[in-house]
Amino acid sequence: MRKYAFIIKTQVMSNLQYVFNLIFNYISYFIILFIFFNIWQYIYSDSTNLINGYNLNQMTWYVVITEIIWMTLNGRKFCIQISNDVKSGNITYNINKPYNYIGYVLSTHLGDILIRIGIYSILGVLTGFLFLGRFPDLNIFSVIIVIITIFLALIISTLLITFIGLFSFFIEDSGPFYWVYSKLILVFGTMFPIEFFPSIIQKILNFSPVYVVSYGPAKLFVDFSWNNAISIIIAQLIYLAIAYLMCYLLYKKGVKKINVNGG
Amino acid sequence: MAIIEVKGLSKNFKVKMKEKGLKGSIKSIFKPKYKIVKAVRNISFDVEKGEIIAFIGPNGAGKSTTIKMMTSILYPDKGTIKVMSYDPIKDRKKLSYEIGTVFGQKEQLWTHLTPYDNFKFFGAIYDLPDSVIEKKIEELNMLFELEEFINTPVRNLSLGQRIRCEIAAALIHEPKILFLDEPTIGLDPVVKENIRTFIKRMNKEFKTTIFLTSHDIGDIEKLCKRVIIINDGQIVLDDTMDNLKYHYLNKKIVEAKMKERINLDDEDGINILKDKGYNLKIEVDTTKRSVADALKLLNPDNIIDINISNIPLEDIISNIYKNKD
Repeated sequence: MRKYAFIIKTQVMSNLQYVFNLIFNYISYFIILFIFFNIWQYIYSDSTNLINGYNLNQMTWYVVITEIIWMTLNGRKFCIQISNDVKSGNITYNINKPYNYIGYVLSTHLGDILIRIGIYSILGVLTGFLFLGRFPDLNIFSVIIVIITIFLALIISTLLITFIGLFSFFIEDSGPFYWVYSKLILVFGTMFPIEFFPSIIQKILNFSPVYVVSYGPAKLFVDFSWNNAISIIIAQLIYLAIAYLMCYLLYKKGVKKINVNGG
Repeated sequence: MAIIEVKGLSKNFKVKMKEKGLKGSIKSIFKPKYKIVKAVRNISFDVEKGEIIAFIGPNGAGKSTTIKMMTSILYPDKGTIKVMSYDPIKDRKKLSYEIGTVFGQKEQLWTHLTPYDNFKFFGAIYDLPDSVIEKKIEELNMLFELEEFINTPVRNLSLGQRIRCEIAAALIHEPKILFLDEPTIGLDPVVKENIRTFIKRMNKEFKTTIFLTSHDIGDIEKLCKRVIIINDGQIVLDDTMDNLKYHYLNKKIVEAKMKERINLDDEDGINILKDKGYNLKIEVDTTKRSVADALKLLNPDNIIDINISNIPLEDIISNIYKNKD
């Protein structure tokens, strides 16, 4: 494990110079949140109203958290990077190193994530507080659980995106697959909670990645219950194992197909 | 005992073919056509411990493909490879601790970090304790003279400095074999010479076996005792450097721009390749006449500009084929 911790540390060191870019990116986060805050304020004519079980405060904090996860993940860039590594043959230079490639990719992306989550969670929570003036009901234990689920969500998302990126072993461009995946997560789990959809879709979403990578942590932040926490963490652990296995198998199959002429 | 054993190794690539123009592009979507490129064809050789061996050939000869099969990167189609008695595909992880690789065309270092941080990173990857890493960095720093730029981010280094760091990074875990794939590509002659000196020094200090690919004949002339020439995926020569020098590297090309015309028609050991008045291109057979002697014939006072080079690798290869026939 020491080597993977070192990969994370090295990636953090390598990326520290981009801190100002991240602060600049925060502007788009602020705009998204501002728009959502205004939409929800308009829809909730009275702030004590409940829509699908959420009041205005919960609804806005839900988007604050899911957007922090979305911005932190920066999935599109990550997917393109893996896809390009496969297509250009750069991936081959990781093969003969004494680490597991999936572990390496996960560690480098976690190195990216650590800087972003630090910056975006501070700025995001401050922005949420600026708009709403108060936090949802939380205590130290629920905050710890929420942080754990956010990290698990980020790790699972990283693995799922790695899986999509590794598709480039078999097809020219995995971009369209990522496009579909990201839009599903954005519409069904980032902008709106699962409860906002018809019951048949809710049933599907409860078993989909949306539940573990976006909805789960945000739901716990705005409406914490130990029952929910346990089921979300169990679902995340199952997803983690499946996503890792999928990546591992796809990589193992793909690596035999590598064609690198010259260079 | 051989440290590398390669027997009957072959590798084919499937390359997509496309006809010309838009029509061809559309056709290739529905009916893709492939061509099989035989990159490596049934090659066998052994490498002894401590050897510096040159594996040379023109572009597209199969050098990199062979090195990639020996270093666990590519799967061979046929044949067997044993590197330190490991199978590169089955024992990939174990082998990775025993070998180092440097690819001249590919940066393996983290460009935003300094060489020092990179060495720490590679040390950790190979499970070395901190104290060992520090000691090793000190040693490599001395050997490769890195002091001046060890704390400068890699992206700000010159190509020559970067290659030195790449080689040093590949040595952090004390590999028994170092694979160098065109380490001097794109470097100017002075830096090339510099890198060669470091490679030689490393082989002497650490007794590292070095497997070097290059298409620069100068690399091998200075470094290696044994040379394997590969062309079109097949080995065309596996011999000592002395033999190669005696049979094929005994000629130098001299190109000179002269003040006055000169007649060298009947001179022994000199073959005129081109004579365009004041521009002269001759081949000097060094077994019959030294280069210095040839220059005397040209008369140094009469020379405006001069260039002396080895005969191109392609010519050596065609010579080898001719001699075989």
